[in-house]
Amino acid sequence: MNEQDEALKELLKRAAGGPADRELRRDLWPEMLRRLERPPVRVPWWDWAVAAALLLCLVLFPEIIPAVLYQL
Amino acid sequence: MTGTVDAELEQFTRGDIQAFETLFREYQGEVYGWIVRIVRDPGAAEDLTLETFWRIYRARARFDPRRPFGAWAHRIATNLALEHLSRRPAENPLDDGVALRAAATPTPDPAIGADVRAKVVAAFGELPSTLRAAATLAMIEETPYAEIADALGISINGVKSRVFRAVRLLRRSLEKRGVRR
Repeated sequence: MNEQDEALKELLKRAAGGPADRELRRDLWPEMLRRLERPPVRVPWWDWAVAAALLLCLVLFPEIIPAVLYQL
Repeated sequence: MTGTVDAELEQFTRGDIQAFETLFREYQGEVYGWIVRIVRDPGAAEDLTLETFWRIYRARARFDPRRPFGAWAHRIATNLALEHLSRRPAENPLDDGVALRAAATPTPDPAIGADVRAKVVAAFGELPSTLRAAATLAMIEETPYAEIADALGISINGVKSRVFRAVRLLRRSLEKRGVRR
């Protein structure tokens, strides 16, 4: 880095207030555990069937795409 | 890495929650410390640390226990931190409202006028997130280039190039705002 770059670096450091405090001040494991114990979101089979049917319709009858988009 | 951790890694890949807890406790500080250097917001860094470990846990089956866990965690953490930077409003990248309220956030040097500081913050915010991260790590956090390269998954020359481009863009942007350095 040249002198100008060093001056810019110094300005940046002063504007940012120097390096961030890197110390973690609390244990995050309890939160992690809560997240792990949360039941996973399950999509009912019926929703998958509707989505598959819609996709099939779009593939077989692409001319309905504008109509479907219009409804959204 | 210790032998205990190696054994834990094997168990972790098989879904053992206690092994995951051991790894979590061993690495949470390191991962947080790395993320906070990039995002400079303690609250966001905590959330991103949790998200990092959540992704690590979900991807456990794909992890090869012979490889270093820390490097893997760093890579995931870096990607999440970069995503966070690219989502974050660009006008306030060095600190935002949350960061200003957080006790652990560094405060700007009062010797710099509020006007100059606002211009630096605005100019910094215009940088693309990848350049912003490289510049933050290299110029503010003074992280060694090799460490930055490792975490960003690029070469040392790649880091130098990003820092160089960041400096050039920053200088141009500051000049437009009437700040000359």
